[in-house]
Amino acid sequence: MKKLVKIPLILLGILLGFFVVTFTVYIFNLDMKMMTFIEPLLEKWYNSREHDQYL
Amino acid sequence: MKTVEKVVNTRKRAGEESPGKIYSDKLKVRARREWRGVKDTFYDYTRWLYLLSVLGKFIMVPRNIKGFFRYRWMMSYLFVPHGMDKFTVGLRDEALRIAHTSFNFVIADVTQAIANCFRGDRRVGNDKAYSDKCVITDENSMVTFMMGFDKEKVHTILREVPTMFASNIFHQFNVMHYLDVAQLNGIPGDVCPMPEAEAGISIEDDFCVLGCCAVQNNTTCDGSLMGNGIIAKRLERQYGIPTFQLATPLRHKEPDVLEYAADQIKQAIEFVEKHTGEKWDWDRYFAAAKRVNFATKCRIAQLEINSTPYPQFFGAAFSLYNDTNYMGNSGRDPEFIKIDKKLLALAEQGYKAKRMYAKEYRHRAIVWGVQPQYVIDMLYWMVQCWGVMPLADMLSIINTDMIADEDTPANREQAYRDMAMLNMEMIMRNHTHGGYKVLLDDLWELCEKMNADLVMMWEHMSCKALTGMHGMFEEQARERGIHIMWVSHDLCDPRVFTRNAIRDQVNNYMRTVMREEPLDPSLEHIPDDEAY
Repeated sequence: MKKLVKIPLILLGILLGFFVVTFTVYIFNLDMKMMTFIEPLLEKWYNSREHDQYL
Repeated sequence: MKTVEKVVNTRKRAGEESPGKIYSDKLKVRARREWRGVKDTFYDYTRWLYLLSVLGKFIMVPRNIKGFFRYRWMMSYLFVPHGMDKFTVGLRDEALRIAHTSFNFVIADVTQAIANCFRGDRRVGNDKAYSDKCVITDENSMVTFMMGFDKEKVHTILREVPTMFASNIFHQFNVMHYLDVAQLNGIPGDVCPMPEAEAGISIEDDFCVLGCCAVQNNTTCDGSLMGNGIIAKRLERQYGIPTFQLATPLRHKEPDVLEYAADQIKQAIEFVEKHTGEKWDWDRYFAAAKRVNFATKCRIAQLEINSTPYPQFFGAAFSLYNDTNYMGNSGRDPEFIKIDKKLLALAEQGYKAKRMYAKEYRHRAIVWGVQPQYVIDMLYWMVQCWGVMPLADMLSIINTDMIADEDTPANREQAYRDMAMLNMEMIMRNHTHGGYKVLLDDLWELCEKMNADLVMMWEHMSCKALTGMHGMFEEQARERGIHIMWVSHDLCDPRVFTRNAIRDQVNNYMRTVMREEPLDPSLEHIPDDEAY
């Protein structure tokens, strides 16, 4: 019986935790802010590649 | 001068009053997301989660990771949620849901297009069997000539859409590198940056290489013709992909060009049949034609709602959705029907509830000319900052005629003419070419129908198609008492006109000519020139 009560509570806790974390990321735009740090690194990577230019 | 009745919003806006606070001069993205009240913020949050799930699913495929590190333009797709935020600025209620429903679908469609490109790409997925059934087409090409092919067996690859056009929506600087490549190779800098960037991508070898053949279209301008030449040369000579030139007449209102255009469509279909080994199926064509007609009816209904004092589906999302549905889809995918129905139901609901998306609507505008509004949140900004409501834009004013959709011997011949008509009157050709009738007369007719008092005239610095008409626009607008507001830009090259340089032209016009103060002063100057 105790187990049956525990399972929905655990699920609720997981859902709540997921919501708190993702909503914080969403509202403070943390996802896009993080990408602004990744973008210059990627640019370096693309600049370092050899390209077969053809006209 | 013509005036329209001011419509005042009696409802209090949910959440924060002004979206001005979300911009930051220190960041390349927004400082935070907009608070739209509990209900709309939660809705926007769930759509954000949906977008992350689309992107997450995409990047979990190993060949997509390989493609991500191979192609520079893929970097833009890190900023998809940022691009979505641009198209929902200040929106609430039905308009917010319309923007998400339409643009989320476009994003999912583009994501699938990238996945398809990578699957067949000789350098990434290298699925030869798949690639052998792929037909590459232009970004600005109607895909009517593919309507009768089974899309599970013959795959239409609009290679330039994810590579250049869509990627630029999410990151305004992403094509500058390709413009530099093109110009370093001697391409003049005074052509439209869109085809020039595509030429640069080809020169740099940054297009996916796949397909058994390609169909190119003489699109709309000198830049496009030049770009197509460069791209076709590499496709044919280096990669051995035969390329058909679908020569489409530009004077599309002249009846004597129709037979020639229909013959070109026939030849394109034969070319695809020859290279893919698949046969054109009339049942499939007429089923797609029914869906094209349904999309046309829905678009007309949306424009009718926009001609009332309570427009619902407006801004960049409107033209982007039409662009995808009309040109990239052309009735081939039944999924668009569901979206069309949903969008229309939302618009009708918003209209019945008399929903407004700013404190007041002072002017009713038609947006004309070659537009850069995909890259910036210009049209939403105009509503919020100055109460100028964009009712319709040039790219959305496309075919309104129904095409033959019953399979009869006569209709099979008519079908070639219908496909030719749709192709000739496609999005970037129907008003920029065809003479002053389609560029000027159609505009004034539209102002009358939509009860517009203002034309926002985008003046694309590198577009020769419209430049010669400047004086005629001025003269005829004066005769009709319609305000005409010129706004210069250089499409996807932000070095020529920054976002603030573009918006300042509207600010100056509204202050000096209209003698008005902004509805929301915090939006007059936004520090987002450096933002993606």
